[in-house]
Amino acid sequence: MFHAATLFLVAAGLQLVFGVQKIVNLACGSFYALGAYFGISLVTWALQAGLPPPLFLPVLLVAGLLLAAIGPLVERLLRLIYDRDESFQMLLTFALVLMFEDVIRRLWGTSPYQLGQIYLVYGQLRVAGLTIPVYNLIVIAAGLAIAVLMGWLLARTRFGRIVRASAENRAMSEALGVDMSRLYTRVFTLGTALGTVGGALVVPATAASIEIAVELIVEAFAVVVIGGLGSMRGAFVGALIVGIMRAVAIATYPEVEMLAIYLVVVAVLVLRPAGLFAKAAA
Amino acid sequence: MNTTRRNFIKILGGGTAAAGIGVAPAFAQTGPVKMGVLVIKSGVAAQVGESGLRGTQWGVDRVNAGGGILGRKIELVVEEESSPKDTVERFRKLALQNKADVITGGISTGVGLALGPVAEELKALWLSWDATTQKGVEETMPNPKYAFRSCDNECEAIMASIITARNWKGKIKTVAGINPDYSYGRDNWAAFLAVMKRYDMGVTPVADLWPKLGTTDFTSHVAALQQVKADLIFSCFWAADASIFLKQAHAAGLIPATRLVFTTAGGVHETLKKAFTPEGMILGYNTMYFEDPKASALQKEFVKWHYEKFKEWPNYESDHAYFTVVAYKAAVERAAKAAGGKWPTAEQIIPALEGLEVESLSGMRRYRQDHIMEANFYQGLTTYKNAYDFVTVNPVEMMTTKQVQKPSGVGLYDWINGWKV
Amino acid sequence: MIRRALLIVALLVGLLVPFLGRDYYATLMLPFFGYGIALLGLNLLFGYTGLLSFGHALFVALGAYVAAFFTTRLGILHLELILFASILTALVVAVPTGLLCVRYVKIYFGMLTLAFGMLFYSFLYKFYHLTGGDEGMRVLRPKLLGQSFESLDKVPFLIGPYYYYSLALLLVAAFVMWRIVRSPFGLCLRSIRENPDKAEYLGVSVRRYRFLAFLIAGLFGAVGGTLLTIPTGLADPLLAYWTHSGNLVFMMLLGGFANFLGPLLGAFVFIFLQDQVMSLTEYWRFVFGAILAIVVIFFPRGLMGLFEGQAGGRG
Repeated sequence: MFHAATLFLVAAGLQLVFGVQKIVNLACGSFYALGAYFGISLVTWALQAGLPPPLFLPVLLVAGLLLAAIGPLVERLLRLIYDRDESFQMLLTFALVLMFEDVIRRLWGTSPYQLGQIYLVYGQLRVAGLTIPVYNLIVIAAGLAIAVLMGWLLARTRFGRIVRASAENRAMSEALGVDMSRLYTRVFTLGTALGTVGGALVVPATAASIEIAVELIVEAFAVVVIGGLGSMRGAFVGALIVGIMRAVAIATYPEVEMLAIYLVVVAVLVLRPAGLFAKAAA
Repeated sequence: MNTTRRNFIKILGGGTAAAGIGVAPAFAQTGPVKMGVLVIKSGVAAQVGESGLRGTQWGVDRVNAGGGILGRKIELVVEEESSPKDTVERFRKLALQNKADVITGGISTGVGLALGPVAEELKALWLSWDATTQKGVEETMPNPKYAFRSCDNECEAIMASIITARNWKGKIKTVAGINPDYSYGRDNWAAFLAVMKRYDMGVTPVADLWPKLGTTDFTSHVAALQQVKADLIFSCFWAADASIFLKQAHAAGLIPATRLVFTTAGGVHETLKKAFTPEGMILGYNTMYFEDPKASALQKEFVKWHYEKFKEWPNYESDHAYFTVVAYKAAVERAAKAAGGKWPTAEQIIPALEGLEVESLSGMRRYRQDHIMEANFYQGLTTYKNAYDFVTVNPVEMMTTKQVQKPSGVGLYDWINGWKV
Repeated sequence: MIRRALLIVALLVGLLVPFLGRDYYATLMLPFFGYGIALLGLNLLFGYTGLLSFGHALFVALGAYVAAFFTTRLGILHLELILFASILTALVVAVPTGLLCVRYVKIYFGMLTLAFGMLFYSFLYKFYHLTGGDEGMRVLRPKLLGQSFESLDKVPFLIGPYYYYSLALLLVAAFVMWRIVRSPFGLCLRSIRENPDKAEYLGVSVRRYRFLAFLIAGLFGAVGGTLLTIPTGLADPLLAYWTHSGNLVFMMLLGGFANFLGPLLGAFVFIFLQDQVMSLTEYWRFVFGAILAIVVIFFPRGLMGLFEGQAGGRG
């Protein structure tokens, strides 16, 4: 479940950016990793500066949000090739994956980073014979909250309506006076923030390492394919499915852990090619 | 300008500048000794790779400060160890292009398997740091000439299993394993079970989990382990997964309720914080324990240097790497004596390396006739009685490869089953 | 005219490389031959049909493992048989995956192919009894045209008979691809890339042609994979990882995908550049990422595009 929450955050970022801008951002995993590393650094610094432990969570959020500032920068870069084939944009994000990997290595070195036990400051709960750190539940709750928030944002606010309209029909929106470039910047930054915040939130209970960027992409893609490209609800359901499948596989038949997810992907593709909640393919 | 043409001209020019056509120039008898080093720079094992490089560097600096090998200083040529295919190409570059006199390094199993035959084909002397499995050695390199390997992977599991049997016989009924999902993990788990059987421990394996190397989230695994309520959990985690798993297991209450055996986590010992690592856990440090009270002056000096320079305590990979440097030096000197004082060829160095005992950081070491290392392994039960925020072991126990590594020519399980207990 | 002359020069130099005394660089040409063939296939799919596959490494890995299987498990050393088996296996795998993937276009196609590539990777990794798992499977030295060249050590073998065999294979593959591209089939593919609806309207079965392009690309990829793995001597799962597919696309783009020879140039430059850069800095991934970014943004038609005097332009 915990895993599902993190997957959802990353997949949501992917979906958002794709839905509006039709860009598949391979670097979303890198944003996640950057959020994780930066989160650790910021919290460590804050603790040394005297921050009381229970406040580390807001610091993490701040770290994630701060790092989302790279979003507009990356978007600027992508903007240079908006009018090209989508494959080019995907390729540019692949270039970013390579570059970010070395940036992380340069800034934080090759060893994985961890935050120690601080996340236990919120205590533990016994649920159905299992002991679960409250922090994990907080992250799951945060994932849910963000899902709800995104849903509300897209459905109820003006911003959301513009986003959805532009996703359906860009030309029309532009004709109606929507400033596309500003919208794109905002959407991309939001998508980035989902990734960086996701990374920052997850890291206290796990660790930050360079591989997570590259590994997460694969699972995020599985989520997106299962849920359907461009759909926020799809990201949510997809993440749930993948998370549950993984937990079930580990508990029952660990050998197929990796394969199980891909098999579901293939099954969805065969049965319902557009994914479970797909919007109309552009 | 046409780029194709430019590239070809460059190669053409470089080619004609080479000495002779198709004939490799003879070894320079003067000038530095080129030691190629393959270092992992990325991925889960990057830190281990870095350790190895540090050990190599220290060894080379000491040798050079002492005048080098037969008067020639060692020059390191560092290349990256990555995927097997790319590493094979770097190895070839070191051998063919850089004309390295010896190549050291090599940690991951896939790379080790690929490089063995390549070393033989190129007639390039290769002293690997790690990267062995039983299967690999048997299948691909029955009679290696140019390749020299480290100890078998199962040594740590075997030593830990013996200690387990001695301490906990009759106290445990069920065991669970959580090991990285590749040959190292599988071989160690299998070895553990074989030793448990040999000692008539009467334990039943109730779960074995195989997270992929590099996993950072073990919550599902921890939950699965909580369900089976095993008396003992066995793990050969050697990278960040060790501390992450322990942290998450502790948070879920699995620790300290369960006995633990962590065969190789000593390599990342500084991350095993007291906050979540229990006392009384069997912990293995591979071939070097940084705080061994019986450590040699050499080790103490290295540990001190390492801590002062990097603010970290060293791990076993530095020891493996250091050994390759000094073993090479000693072998060259030994072979030169036999060759009448001339710089020996690789073919002359090889018999000199076999059986030659050299002092490494953790004690005396040597290569067997079949080119596998013989060294000492250090493990113990963890304790909090120290000045750090991470666990150490006390007392630290040492076993040699004579006790924990199978001799050449025998199958692993046949050897175990033939023990007298 | 100049182009043809340059090609001939390139070919002549290629024939002479083993004699130039730089053995290491001669061995570097071998992955170039392998990747060249694989990229010819990828280019058919992208440059001519407009489908960008992020899972081409699947077929490369497939070819590699077929070679491993045949030489170590089945004891068959004839390279011709192995290549034939690679092609067959590629077809067997490409048919179902192709049927599934060509239903989609553009980005969906890319994502799907990525997923299939990773599926194969996890299969190779998990089923270690069959595939050797993370350690991979050894690939023994094959017999070329029935000759085993036992008297030669591996390096002289590689830069001698094997070099010319691979070069010949590359030339044959290039010739075959040239004919395909120039045929009515190839023209249909290009029309599909330009305007699928119009092509459909004109009676071209878009899906069928895409499927066929996928098959051809797959078998070129497998042949390339077989060639690639023999110098290494080992087939390992990383060959199927998605970043390897990414590198293949990188090479294709670097050389120029809208051009027949572009991918070959791209493979060549990539391999030699990677070799040099890797020895210079440990941050070579950053350098390569930057190069890719620059190519994508400023030189989308790649090096061949530069050569032909058209920088930038339509994607």
